Amino acid sequence: MVEAFAVASGKGGTGKTTSTLALGMALAEEYDVTVIDADTGMANLLFHAGLDDADVTLHDLLVEDRDASVEDAVYERFGMSVVPCGTSLAAFEAADPTRLRDVVAELARDTDVLLLDSPAALGSKSAVLPIVLADRIVVVLQPTVPSLSDGLKVQEYAHSYGTDTAGVVFNRVRPDEDVDRIAEQASRYFGGQTLASVPESDAVRAARRAGEPLLAHAPDDAAADAFREAAARLDVRDGDGRDVAERFKRAVVPDRV
Amino acid sequence: MRIPRGALLRSRVVDDPSEVLETVLDERLTGYVVFEPQDALLLGEATRGVVTFEDGIPVLAYDTERDCGGRDGLDGFAVTGPNRVTVHAVDADALAEAHETVEFRVPPGEPARTLAGDERLAERTTAEAPESRRAEGRDQSSVEAFLADAEAIEAIRSEAREEARARAEEWGLDDVLTDQSDSAFGE
Repeated sequence: MVEAFAVASGKGGTGKTTSTLALGMALAEEYDVTVIDADTGMANLLFHAGLDDADVTLHDLLVEDRDASVEDAVYERFGMSVVPCGTSLAAFEAADPTRLRDVVAELARDTDVLLLDSPAALGSKSAVLPIVLADRIVVVLQPTVPSLSDGLKVQEYAHSYGTDTAGVVFNRVRPDEDVDRIAEQASRYFGGQTLASVPESDAVRAARRAGEPLLAHAPDDAAADAFREAAARLDVRDGDGRDVAERFKRAVVPDRV
Repeated sequence: MRIPRGALLRSRVVDDPSEVLETVLDERLTGYVVFEPQDALLLGEATRGVVTFEDGIPVLAYDTERDCGGRDGLDGFAVTGPNRVTVHAVDADALAEAHETVEFRVPPGEPARTLAGDERLAERTTAEAPESRRAEGRDQSSVEAFLADAEAIEAIRSEAREEARARAEEWGLDDVLTDQSDSAFGE
């Protein structure tokens, strides 16, 4: 059984990486979860998962004639398998993002849920690849006009590639904001369901500083509760891991970005 | 937009943008701070933004690389990780003209919120802002008005669909495009 979700937002600052790891940890209670930092140009997840000094990262898997095997870049952390991306400029330049397809296909064989932390951009092939490869997207939004507008764009890109919307997470919601009304309006345009409204929280920053996912750092925080609620609402679909791997292999593109 | 060159007060690398935002609030800086996210630099991506201040309260935000301002501008340089911050003082009169660029203005608490995720500092900044600026902020009614405008939203979506298709061809991804020409979700 496997389903791959791209966690996407279209714009930075919505808390996408925090959301990816929080959903991952919550889903790991029930499923075998693998989280991949598919934001190859702006690696971020490693800092959130205490993997700053990881020897082998996704970058090492995206080079031609690679020495590293996929499992070398998989780190068991916080009950999940985490595949971080590195921050070295040389490694980024040597990496061919289109090889992500093969890496994802290989990881898909041995896991229930794949979460792809996606770039906050749509301007290059490597940036859209995670939403092309995923079965469905989870859109992380803030209740603001620019964020909603960008979320709509990401969703249209995803739908163009046959990737549906699993749901929407409203993140960094301030106490004075009535997200219920906004969510009800937004649900006319976004697919899936409103998974949660996650309150703005100081614990998120503290967790980032500590190099831990929110659910590990502050499991009792209201934001952590909301992410667990989101994960519980996410209806992970049964699939045959081999089919998914096969589809990924067929999916995309030989040439360099 | 032109911001008059100011007197350099200091330049340093900080892990957390809230440090500098809080310091300039305490100092009542009139001038500007340049933010250069270092992780982006490492990856060869030039990312740089400017926030201007009047008596310590943020007024404008501008992403110098993407040439856009206001909240969108802030989002452009809201990058996790260390930042080189350069603090400049400018005479208030010299800044007045730039501060009339309405489309680049941000609510007082927005830089703390967006760049640092620091809600407490955002609230403190708003509380210390002049009365006339305190009401600026996220305006729920504008979000609701945006979502109520089905035509405008359909315009955004259809433009994104066309862009997605055009780029898919450009990137050689057109073989994985679906055939649907209508949106999957709508009214």
